[in-house]
Amino acid sequence: MDTKKNKFLSNKGFVLFSILAVVIVLIAAFAPVLAGGIDPTAGNLADAIMAPDAKHLFGTDKMGRDIYARVLYGARISLASTFVLVLAVFVIGTALGVLAGYFGGWVDAVIMRIADMMIAFPGLVLAIAVAGMLGASMRNAIIAIALVTWPKYARMARSLVLKVRHTDYVYAAIVTGSGTWHMLWKYMLPNTITTLVITAATDIGGMMMELAALSFLGFGAQPPTPEWGSMLNEGRDFMQSAPWLMVYPGLAIFITVVIFNMLGDNLRDILDPREE
Amino acid sequence: MKKLSKKSAALLVAGLVTCGLLAGCGGGDKAPAKDGGKAVAKTLTFGCQMYSDGLINPASQVNCAWNVSRFGIGQTLFRFDDNVKAVPQLAESATPSDGNKTWTFKLKKGIKFSNGTEMTATKVKESLDWIREAGKKGSSNPTKFLDAGAVVTADDAAGTVTIKSEKAYPDMPASLADPAMCIIDVKGTKNFDSGIIGTGPYMVKTFKDHVGYEMVANPHYWNGKPPYEEVKILFMGDASAKANALRAGQIDLAENIMNVADLKALREDKKFTVQVAPGTRVGFSWMNMQDGKPLANKALRQAVLKAIDYKTICKSNTIGGLYTPGPSVVPSSLGYGFDKLKNPYEYDPEGAKKILDEAGIKDTNGDGIREINGKNIELRYISYANRLLNDFSDAHTQYLKAVGIGVKSEYGSSDDQWTKLVAGEYDFNNNNWNVMIAGAPTVFMANWYSKNKDNFCGFKSDAYDKAYEELRSTMDTKRYAELMQECQQILINEAAVLVDGYYNSCIIYNDKVGSAHMYPLDYYWITDEIKPAGAK
Repeated sequence: MDTKKNKFLSNKGFVLFSILAVVIVLIAAFAPVLAGGIDPTAGNLADAIMAPDAKHLFGTDKMGRDIYARVLYGARISLASTFVLVLAVFVIGTALGVLAGYFGGWVDAVIMRIADMMIAFPGLVLAIAVAGMLGASMRNAIIAIALVTWPKYARMARSLVLKVRHTDYVYAAIVTGSGTWHMLWKYMLPNTITTLVITAATDIGGMMMELAALSFLGFGAQPPTPEWGSMLNEGRDFMQSAPWLMVYPGLAIFITVVIFNMLGDNLRDILDPREE
Repeated sequence: MKKLSKKSAALLVAGLVTCGLLAGCGGGDKAPAKDGGKAVAKTLTFGCQMYSDGLINPASQVNCAWNVSRFGIGQTLFRFDDNVKAVPQLAESATPSDGNKTWTFKLKKGIKFSNGTEMTATKVKESLDWIREAGKKGSSNPTKFLDAGAVVTADDAAGTVTIKSEKAYPDMPASLADPAMCIIDVKGTKNFDSGIIGTGPYMVKTFKDHVGYEMVANPHYWNGKPPYEEVKILFMGDASAKANALRAGQIDLAENIMNVADLKALREDKKFTVQVAPGTRVGFSWMNMQDGKPLANKALRQAVLKAIDYKTICKSNTIGGLYTPGPSVVPSSLGYGFDKLKNPYEYDPEGAKKILDEAGIKDTNGDGIREINGKNIELRYISYANRLLNDFSDAHTQYLKAVGIGVKSEYGSSDDQWTKLVAGEYDFNNNNWNVMIAGAPTVFMANWYSKNKDNFCGFKSDAYDKAYEELRSTMDTKRYAELMQECQQILINEAAVLVDGYYNSCIIYNDKVGSAHMYPLDYYWITDEIKPAGAK
C-alpha cells in the first residue's frame, strides 16, 4: 500500500495535475462565490460586447452578460456533463464488454455486433445525427456521445476478459463452485479495471471537447445556459472585432482539457508502466 | 539515436503535411479574365441564405416563388421599383376598366423564355392559370394576388392579356408583381422544383441540393445580353460565413450580412461596397393566442410587451441599428399613420410585474418564475438564424426572465420555424417579413384577420375584421390610410404582436462587381443590373 502511495506521490506530474484538476473542480463548485454573485444568464443589452475592464474582467457578450461569470459557471456544466458522460460509457461499456467476454457465444455475438455497428460510423457525425434526432439539449448530447463511445470500452473490456477467461485459475474457481456473479466480480472485473480507468481518465479531455463541439454546433446546451462550447459559438461572429468573446471560453476549454489529459497520462504512467 | 530519428522523421512528415494543407488553403483561381489590362469577371458568385431548400417551384411555397425571382430566373409582368411602385417589366402597360374589375395588359414584344419559346399572350395565360391551380396545394397563395375566379383571356395577335374578375383590384399590376405570379413556360418546364423555365437573365444549369445553383446566361434574354456568362449561387446560412467568404474572394456578392461587426469592417474596407435599402421589412414574433396556449391570456401578453426594452435592444452593439424600434407591425418609414399611433406598452418592467400580479400570475414557490394554473410559465420561443432573429429572441428571453416569465428557446432552420408556425407549435415564433407584399400592406395585415387561413396565431377581433374587410376593398387612398392606422392601433391595443423592429436590407459586393442594387422589396437579388467592374 505504501509502495503504491509512494508511486502516486513520487510522480510529480501526477501530483501537479491532480492539484490543478482539484482547483478546477473547486472553481466549478464555488463559481457563485468567485463570480461575486453575478448571474451568468442575466445581462444588460446596453452593455453588450464591451471589452474587458474593471467591472467585467473578461468583458461582456452580445447579450451584455458577464463573460467571467459565464466562464466560471460554464465549468460546472462542462465538468459535470463530462464526468457523467465518462462514467456512463465506463460503466456501460465495461459491463457489456465483461459480459461478452465471459459468456461468449450468442451474448458475445449480439453485443459485439451492435458495438461494430456503432463503430462503423464516424463518431462525432453519428453523435450529431443522434443529437439532431433527440433534440438539442445537454442531456441528449451526453446520450448521443455515450451511444457512440461505449463500444470502445466494451471491446477493451472484452479483450481483457478473454485474456484470462480460459486460464487455469479461472477454471479452478469454477470447479470449486464459484458462482457466475462471483466470477465476474472477483476475477473478471479486476483484470479489466486498471486499463479501463486509465482509458477513462485519458478520455476526459476528449469527451469534454466532443461535448463542447456538440454545443458549439447547437446540439448541446441551449441559450442562455453558460457552456463553453456554446459560448464559443456565440462569439464566433465577433472573432475579429471582439475576440474576448471566444478567447476566454476557448482558454477555459484548452486549460481544462490539457490538465485532464496530462492527469490521465500520468495516471497511466503510474498504473501501467509498460506504456511508458 | 533510433528514437531521435523516428521523432525527427515524424516532425518532418507533420511539417510537410501542414505545409501541404496550408498551400491547399491558399488563394484559388479567382482571378477574372484580363481584358486590355482591366479585369472583367465573367462569373458572379453569390452567397445567400437558403430558403425552402433552395427550390424554385413558385406554386409550392412562398420562399420558392421568391427564389425564382431573387435568382434572376423568373420575372413578372410588372415589378416594384425603389418607391415600391409597380412598374412595367414583361408588360408595357396595364389598363383598368369596369371599375377596376377588368385589366388589360399589353405585353412587350420579342420576349422569349430561356428555352427560346416566345412569350405569347397564350403563354402568359397558361402561366397565370397554372399557378392558381397548382398553387392550391402549396403555401405561396397565388390566389391572394389574383382570385381563383378571375378569367384570363389571351389575344396573341394584339399581344394582350385581359383579366376579368368579380373583385375590383385597386392596383392589379402590383398584385401581379408578386414573385408567385412570375411568368413561366408551363409546358416547356420539365423540372418544376429546380429547373423552372422563365424569362430572367439567367437560367439553371445545375442544382445541388443544399449547396446551390450553377446558372448560365439566358441566350434569349429580352433586355440585352446578361452581364455575366455564369452565375453561381451558394447557400450560406451563416452571416459570418458570408462575410468571410467575401473577404476571401470566394464570393463576389452577398445579401444581408447581419453581423454588425462584419458589416462595419466591410464598410470601412475600400474593396467592398455595402448598399442598404430603406426597409419594408418588420421583425416580429407571432404570439400564439389559440385556446389553451398561455399567451391567450391578454394580461400575460401585455406584460410581455411592457417587459422588453426595445430601444436598448435596437441600439445595442449586437443589433447595431440594423433595426429601428417601433410598436406597430408596419415599418415607421412607410407612413400609414405611424406617428399617430399610441403605444400603451412602452418599456416598464415594474408595470409588467404589476399587470402579472393583478392577473394572479405570481411566483409562489420562489424560484423566480411565475406560475399559471400551478405550473411554471415556460413559453416556447421558436426562432432561426436569419436577420438577427436569434439575437432578438435571446434578448427577449432575458428581459422576460427578469419579470418572472420563463422562456425556452428552440432555434432551428427556417423550415423548422415555418413548420412550427403553421402547426401552432409555439408560443413565440420569430420572423422577418416583408410588409409591402403586392406593393401595399393589405396582404400582410390579413395575418391577423380571423377568417384568413394564414392567421397562424388565433387572433380574433371583430373590430379588426370589420376594418380589414373595408381595407381590402376600398379604392379610396385616404380611407385606406385611415383603416391602416385603425388596424395597427387595434393590434397594439390587443397586445397581439411582439415587434422586434424594422429592418433595412443590404447587399454587399467586392471590387470585381461594378454595380448592384438592393430594392426595398427584396424580391430581386440577381438582376441584369449587377454588372462586372470594367464592363461597358
